[in-house]
This record gives sequence, C-alpha cells and structure tokens, in this order.
Amino acid sequence: MNPLDDQLDRLFRAAGKVHPGAVPAPAYGLETRVLAAWRAANAGEVSGWDLALLVRGLIVASVIMVISLLPALKSSRTGETSEASTTPYADFAQLADSTVASNDAP
Amino acid sequence: MTDAEVAACLERGRTGDEKAILELFHYMHPQVAKIVQSNLPPRESAEDLIQQVCVKVISHLDQFSGKVPFLHWVSRIAVNTCLNQIRHEKRRPEVRLADLSEDEATVVEHLAASPGELDASDHVAAKEIVDKLLGALKPADRLLMRLMYLEGRNVDEIAALTGWSPSLIKVRAFRARAQLRRRYRLLMKETA
Repeated sequence: MNPLDDQLDRLFRAAGKVHPGAVPAPAYGLETRVLAAWRAANAGEVSGWDLALLVRGLIVASVIMVISLLPALKSSRTGETSEASTTPYADFAQLADSTVASNDAP
Repeated sequence: MTDAEVAACLERGRTGDEKAILELFHYMHPQVAKIVQSNLPPRESAEDLIQQVCVKVISHLDQFSGKVPFLHWVSRIAVNTCLNQIRHEKRRPEVRLADLSEDEATVVEHLAASPGELDASDHVAAKEIVDKLLGALKPADRLLMRLMYLEGRNVDEIAALTGWSPSLIKVRAFRARAQLRRRYRLLMKETA
C-alpha cells in the first residue's frame, strides 16, 4: 500500500474513534417552532382546498350561465326576422311608427 | 419506540394529531441532530438546520411509503438537506502546516515516522486534522468521505442515505480520496 494511503487510513481510524458529543436535548422553543411550522403548512393545505372549491364553483356557475343564455341567443339569431310576424301587436306597432314618422315630417 | 408504535404514531400524525407529531419529533430529533452536527456547514446554525429537517419530515408524512424504517427515511432527508445547504459553499481553504496546532503537527510527524496506530491521546488531534483536510473538499465529497471513513458505512448504506447510485459513490470516493491524498502529500512536504 502507498505509504501516504496507509498514513491517511491510520489518521481516519484514529479520528473515527473520537466519540461524537452526546446529542443535546431539543433546544428550548424548537418543539414549539416545529409544531407551528407544521400547523402553518396544514393551514396552507386548507386554503389550497378552499381555492380548489372556489375554482370548481366558478366553473359550475359559468356552465349554468352559458346554458341559461343559450336559448336567448338562439332565439335572438332566428327570431329577428320573424319577430314582426309572430308578435300579436306587430301591425299596431308598425302603424304607430308610420304615424309618428308622417307627423314628424315637415 | 417500537416499529408498531412508530407506525401508529405516523397514522395519527397523518390525520393531524398534534400529540403524535410531537412524539415523532422527539423520536427523530437525536438522529437528525447527529447528522446535522457531523455535516454542519460552516457558519450555519445547527438548530435552524435541525428545525428545517424536522419540519420537512412532518410536513411530508404522506410521502413516507413505509418500505424502509422511518429513521432511514429521516436520515436521508437530513443528509440531503445538509448537502443542499453546503452545495453552494465557495470557500474551500487549503490546509497548510501553519494552520495546524502543535498537537496536530505532532500527530502528522508521528504518522510519517511510525507505522503504528496513533495513541488514544492523539485521537482528538487526528479528528481536527481530518476535519481540516475534509474542509478542502467539495461538499458532496466531504460528506461521502465522512460517511465512508469516519462513520464506517459501506456503499449500500451510503446509497440508501444519499440516493446516489453505487457506481457514482465508488467513482466519487475514488476521486475524493485522490484529492485527500494530494492535500495530505502537500502537508507532508511542508513537514519534511
């Protein structure tokens, strides 16, 4: 074996025999801080859950809104031309419009 | 704590039982403190790092699969947290003879002069020299040398602790050992 390797090995063996000092008890307040951090992390999870619920609620509300608007959109597209003939008072309305128009004319 | 008690505590901890969390904290604290103290980055507070590891463990209890003992899992988190903490460390001072105390210089001379093991009275000085030599290595190499030569862990144990593959450990150990040899040679040259 390389003499340097041998010396290093002996050095490490000697160093390894040094007992690490006794592990001290948890420092004052460490337990409380760890518990507080855990609670904060849990609280974070709850607010995340709330956020997910809020997003789902918004999606459902949007879907309901779109569904409720669909018939109105449909009728506005198809009904513009036929509105005059389908409305029962359409003739009276037309008559009133032409009267106003003729009275206003100089 | 027996394995069954730990498992029961983990179950209660996952459901948010504070008492169980405290029991787990007291159970893992000695192991975490030991790892943090032996791999403590310079100028870093051990208490802060212990807290960081403990919080990480109890916040991720859901991720503990139970395939390995709880303390092994904790050790792995502790080792990786220390490694992350020291990864960006820039300063790696070279060891010079002038940096050694009188006792340490005597140990170096003794190692060169005699083939025998060092006396028990020299062990502390030997540890100081080793710490100084390791301080000149990259953080990952330092951790590896410490686990391998000071704590006497084998490749499989180191793989379980660090998550590195056995081949990576062997290559890294070979290079780190070569670095150590080079630095030790420089020290010996100064002694001669």
